Amino acid sequence: MIDAIGKAVRTRFDSFLYGLGFFVKVLRETARFFRKSQVGYKVLVMQILFTGFEALRINAVMSLGIGAAIIVIGTSLLPQFGQSQLLYTILIIVITRELGPLLTAFVVIARSGTAIATELGTMVVNHEIEAYLSVGVNPISFLVVPRFLGMVVSLIVLTIYFNIFGLLGSFLVVQVVRPVGFQEYFQNLLTTLTVTDILSGLGKAVVFGTIISLVASFQGFSVNRASTEIPVAGIRAVSQSFMLCILADVVITLMQYA
Amino acid sequence: MGQEASNPVIELRSVTTVSGGFEILRDVSVAFTEGVTTAVLGSAGSGKSALLKTAAGLVVPDSGAVLFRGSSLASFSEDEERYFRSRTSFVFQDAALWANQTIFFNIALPLRIHKPWMGESEVAERVRTTAERLGYVEGLAFRPADLSAGEQKLISIARALVLDPELVFLDEPASGLDEDAKERVQEVLDSLRDAGKSILLVTNDMGWVHRIADRLVIVRDGRLAAAGPYDEVVASEVPETAGLVARLRARGARGMRSRGAEESAGTVVLSDPEPPETGKSAGGAAEGERGT
Repeated sequence: MIDAIGKAVRTRFDSFLYGLGFFVKVLRETARFFRKSQVGYKVLVMQILFTGFEALRINAVMSLGIGAAIIVIGTSLLPQFGQSQLLYTILIIVITRELGPLLTAFVVIARSGTAIATELGTMVVNHEIEAYLSVGVNPISFLVVPRFLGMVVSLIVLTIYFNIFGLLGSFLVVQVVRPVGFQEYFQNLLTTLTVTDILSGLGKAVVFGTIISLVASFQGFSVNRASTEIPVAGIRAVSQSFMLCILADVVITLMQYA
Repeated sequence: MGQEASNPVIELRSVTTVSGGFEILRDVSVAFTEGVTTAVLGSAGSGKSALLKTAAGLVVPDSGAVLFRGSSLASFSEDEERYFRSRTSFVFQDAALWANQTIFFNIALPLRIHKPWMGESEVAERVRTTAERLGYVEGLAFRPADLSAGEQKLISIARALVLDPELVFLDEPASGLDEDAKERVQEVLDSLRDAGKSILLVTNDMGWVHRIADRLVIVRDGRLAAAGPYDEVVASEVPETAGLVARLRARGARGMRSRGAEESAGTVVLSDPEPPETGKSAGGAAEGERGT
């Protein structure tokens, strides 16, 4: 039994070291990505298009809904406690600092994280990765770095969109349910909103984008030879990305408020 | 009984490769001579493809070393790796084309990587002529999924030849090809051979082996069973290789392949798949000696 535990610990440790090595390699290749004439630019553009642009609609709907819900609930409950002015603080914290980046990350995990893991896994099974190696193309540089950069850029853009729709668009939605004065709303919003709020959300977007792209790529490359491993890699990519993003969110929030 | 190839282009030294918990190559030592065509033979699952991929640096051995013209692949700098890839190419058993790219991209990528100074029109011309050389005259804007398996194989061979490599690894190049396509590929291989290129060929097509192989390497259960000039391996009497050798003998005699034979005339490495406990084997390959 002790032997089995020892083996399990060693396997986990080896896996951790392997993952760490993969992360370092991606960072190193990223630093060189723009210095070299790259055929990977097209992959980067396609990744931004798929992850950033095509997820815009669902992200917008989600942020409008959440922003509107916060305003409706806040305008109903907070006056009862004499804390109406807290509405804007809550709105900004929830939208820009917490739910904005986190929910955007969840959408991206569901759409792009699985796509990356299954696509790379399929390429491994079909020997396409070996084919890249055989012609002298570094798969990390050509396949992972553009996805990593595209994912980070997309997360930042989507988080900004989430903020815009959540803070401004939701105002329009609320007018239907519970009219709020335009001048009052925006004046209070701008007074409460700080640069730190925006940077905090964008910082999380960068971290989440890094986590999702690297975990998905790592899981995609972990496929060996059977097509049955591909959905498993997709599932692992999703579950690990969810877990690590939530963990990172908690850590960053603790660092901000502790 | 060991032997030295005078100018090995690729050399495996005591290579053991493990995959999925199994040793797919066991202590294999073999050298592939520069400028000749070597056919790697063996039954299904014997480790032929693993040997070829290990020799090409696509599979990293768990122990031992792979040398390209005397330099270990494991110690290559990035520039050396790039040089190696620009001088070698690999044809995969299942074509392994990049599915989400066009046929043009598939053939052109090696040029864009290794000859970035080439203009688009020059790249396009080279891609077109290479594809036509293999008899592919369909559109280059298609995706691999639009092509038949045979056409995909032709494109993968075109991709391997577009850089005019000095060393070509071919893993079952005849599979999936119709007779006409096989004939064209044979002609292309003949021209490579005549041009003094090094060819490492894994195939079960004994007609091809009989026609173009200068040297033979026979693998059995992940071990080197025999290696040497074609005629000497075919003339040898070793139980482990008897089946393959008999099929080649059945094709009749042929002229001595001078390039392969001159390198190590009179020497054939033969080894038992399972060496005796004394550590002595008939040919010595199991003892880590080289053989081609």
